[in-house]
Amino acid sequence: MSIFAILLGLAFGGWLMAALEGWAVHGRFSLVRPLASALALLGREAVVTRKSDRLFFETAPILLLVAGLLAAAVIPLAPGLIVADLATGALFLNAALAYVLVALIMAGWGPDGAYAMIGGWRFLGQFIGYSMLIVMPITAVAMRAQSLSTTQIVTSQAALWNVAYQPLGFALFVVAAMALAWLPPFDLPSGTGDLAGGIEAEYTGPRLAVLRLARMVVVLALAGAVSTFYLGGWLGPWLPGWAWSGGKTLAVAALMLTLGRHIPRMREARFLEFCWKAGVPLALVNIFLVGVIALVVPI
Amino acid sequence: MSVSIGQSLFLIFFGAAAVWFGVVVFRTHSMVRSAIALLFSQTAVGAMFLVMQAEFLGVLQIMMMASEMSVMAIFMVMFMMDPGGLGAMDMTHQKRLSLWAGGIGLTFALAVIWLTGWGPAAQAAPAAAEQTAALGRELLGRSMFVFESAGLTILTAMVAATMVAIAPTEEHGR
Repeated sequence: MSIFAILLGLAFGGWLMAALEGWAVHGRFSLVRPLASALALLGREAVVTRKSDRLFFETAPILLLVAGLLAAAVIPLAPGLIVADLATGALFLNAALAYVLVALIMAGWGPDGAYAMIGGWRFLGQFIGYSMLIVMPITAVAMRAQSLSTTQIVTSQAALWNVAYQPLGFALFVVAAMALAWLPPFDLPSGTGDLAGGIEAEYTGPRLAVLRLARMVVVLALAGAVSTFYLGGWLGPWLPGWAWSGGKTLAVAALMLTLGRHIPRMREARFLEFCWKAGVPLALVNIFLVGVIALVVPI
Repeated sequence: MSVSIGQSLFLIFFGAAAVWFGVVVFRTHSMVRSAIALLFSQTAVGAMFLVMQAEFLGVLQIMMMASEMSVMAIFMVMFMMDPGGLGAMDMTHQKRLSLWAGGIGLTFALAVIWLTGWGPAAQAAPAAAEQTAALGRELLGRSMFVFESAGLTILTAMVAATMVAIAPTEEHGR
């Protein structure tokens, strides 16, 4: 039952987000357009490049989709409304999202095209930057909850949401999440201006449809993670729990999709420099502060 | 601990997958394929942990291997100065030495498995949260020194490897 509810939520959320992204990119808001372009992609010819690494080429979009779905499986929409309430949920989310990188390298390598390959390796460079900033803020969140279970992380925020308790971790996590989902200004792997689509360059037809859907699922899973870890998940007055967590997730996803579009694209070397020289020390400060607060003031 | 038939079947399946992907590492002629095959071999080992109800270890293994193998790919690219990783390349080198090293390693591992007194098997696996807590206490207690020195060694190796990979320039001297 939960599986269907979550899948339905993901489909609905993905559709809304696609409409919103279309609005941000083309300046026109249309709820029909995502459906129309999805249908068009399904009907379009699926070109395979010459001398492609067929196994990687075919596997990459599916692996990306599976990674996104597995990450979404540990995000609770409401008490009991979760696909798998694992004792190691927060870690599992990391494990699933680590395969986004693998899928993108495969998508870059597979088609035997220069643009795609540069896109894939660029994402690897980006990964070295963001990976620590995904894990370390989650450590601080788990420290407060005394658990890695995502439902317990939500209930630990009953008195005060983590966004107020550890704002530093929140900021770092959101930046890292945007880099993980290669959203602007961290969209180097697919950089439209200079790489002609990068990892998406050689994908056409149904494969491109799966790739884009998978990316949307990854964005939603990350937005769900932000809402679960920092915005109190299903906690909120009057409305039912699923409405709160769904609304928060969609709001975070919308912000992630639109915020960075007004900032110039960030080169992976600059991003790496920022992450390791500023991000990692700040994340350590965050862990230290959360540890001190947790010991001194029980909230 | 009693093991159900389903559990054993999954264990055999993932074990066979781990070995098969391990073989693929050397059968392919592409460095990228080789790296990804090694990754999936290790992922299968992670799945074996999950089947054996060691949730934390399984998830950790599955997570760490994805990033580690990709980092390995970075070093591969840095050293070979060839992002394509050469289309046709033999993955086996120094065959006689490798065979001997592999054989001795295998014998040693089998000897450790057979000769160690493993003690009585637990009746039931503890709950996942309990395992995580116990592992945390172990890592911050008895095994802390071992773990920290391993971490420092890996960090040193990474810094050294990066230094070797960076081509010397005029202003930095040779």
